[in-house]
Amino acid sequence: MKTLLSKQELIDFENEIADLFNNKMIKAPIHLDQGCEEQLLEIFKEIDETDFICCSWRSHYRALLKNLSPDILKKYILEGRSISICDKEHNIFSSAIVSGNVSIGLGIAMAYKQNKEKRPDGTDKRVWCFIGEMTSCHGSFFECLTYAENFKLPITYIVEDNGKSVKTPTREVIGNNKLPFEPQLFDDDGDTLEDFENGKVIRSSSHLYWFKYSFEKWQHSGTNTRIQF
Amino acid sequence: MSYFSELERAMTFLGEKEDTFFIGQALIYDGTAQYKTCLNVPRNKIIEPPIWENTQLGMSIGMALTGKTIISVFPRLNFLSCAMDQLSNHLDKISIYSNGEFKPKVIVRSSIGSVKPLNPQAQHRGDYTDGFKLFCPNMNIVRLDRTEDIFPAYEKAYLDDKPSLLIEWADKLNG
Repeated sequence: MKTLLSKQELIDFENEIADLFNNKMIKAPIHLDQGCEEQLLEIFKEIDETDFICCSWRSHYRALLKNLSPDILKKYILEGRSISICDKEHNIFSSAIVSGNVSIGLGIAMAYKQNKEKRPDGTDKRVWCFIGEMTSCHGSFFECLTYAENFKLPITYIVEDNGKSVKTPTREVIGNNKLPFEPQLFDDDGDTLEDFENGKVIRSSSHLYWFKYSFEKWQHSGTNTRIQF
Repeated sequence: MSYFSELERAMTFLGEKEDTFFIGQALIYDGTAQYKTCLNVPRNKIIEPPIWENTQLGMSIGMALTGKTIISVFPRLNFLSCAMDQLSNHLDKISIYSNGEFKPKVIVRSSIGSVKPLNPQAQHRGDYTDGFKLFCPNMNIVRLDRTEDIFPAYEKAYLDDKPSLLIEWADKLNG
């Protein structure tokens, strides 16, 4: 879809929200984005305005790229809803529970397939479900990814891999440097391990995209100083 | 009028509605007390998913987000407890945390397991009605103690804006 914002405008939006938070204008947790601008801009070129996106607690960039106006998103955040941005008009759903959006997205895709829902250009409507790499280790993700593949449901899971679950190194607590569904890069499809490590979006299948990125600027929740809640 | 016939009437009523869809264990293949109550529901309006309670309820919510009314069937409350995340953190609270943007209409159907003629013991016969009410204060939760309660409860659940959990007594269903 044609997105209305540039990489710098995405960054500027989050900086503005951070200022509002630091000035005590937001009385709720915020989850700021950083570091995945280019990957999301690339992925959203494949997303149609009529598609559904399912997000987690960190959703500002995805909502903006789905053309939710910055003013409306800011209003939602000021109301304390950064953690669970939902907007029916723009087909944006979020859940602040780990893996909560995974099966809900699957259900939307099931309904799309049953109803033969089409985009304006006649192609199939699709669900795009954004998750972190820890969620990709959940049983729910295994269930839903395999079901989507087996029944050819119109859904793509996008694993945004910053290597951290809050502050915990994901691979350390999983006990393996390779996560279960991490892209296999030995099949000579043009992608290399170096590409993957450098943040290239790896399209393992139509149902699974994966990219690594570095998330350093903000805390998991809040801005630069951790506030316990 | 029997407990079974009223449940069958309720499922037939729901099955005739254009916007409804059924999803649940043992709905296509006989295996639970609830199976026979759904025989009048058109087969093309039913999905029998793998046994994965939390994912089943998440799928039900997702389908409902597109405007359908979903009847999601769990044979026993003990099994439904495996779906507590989607039940309590999502179905019960989506309309609140989305500020009314989404109001998924899911009618959850479950039962208190039977103890006659066989007693399935502690993991299959729990009555957790009060516990589910504590976890899900925003849903209609009704235990169907009387036969005459059944059809009106399902009719109300279909017409209501809120999601519902209707709890049957399997011993009464078995006659």
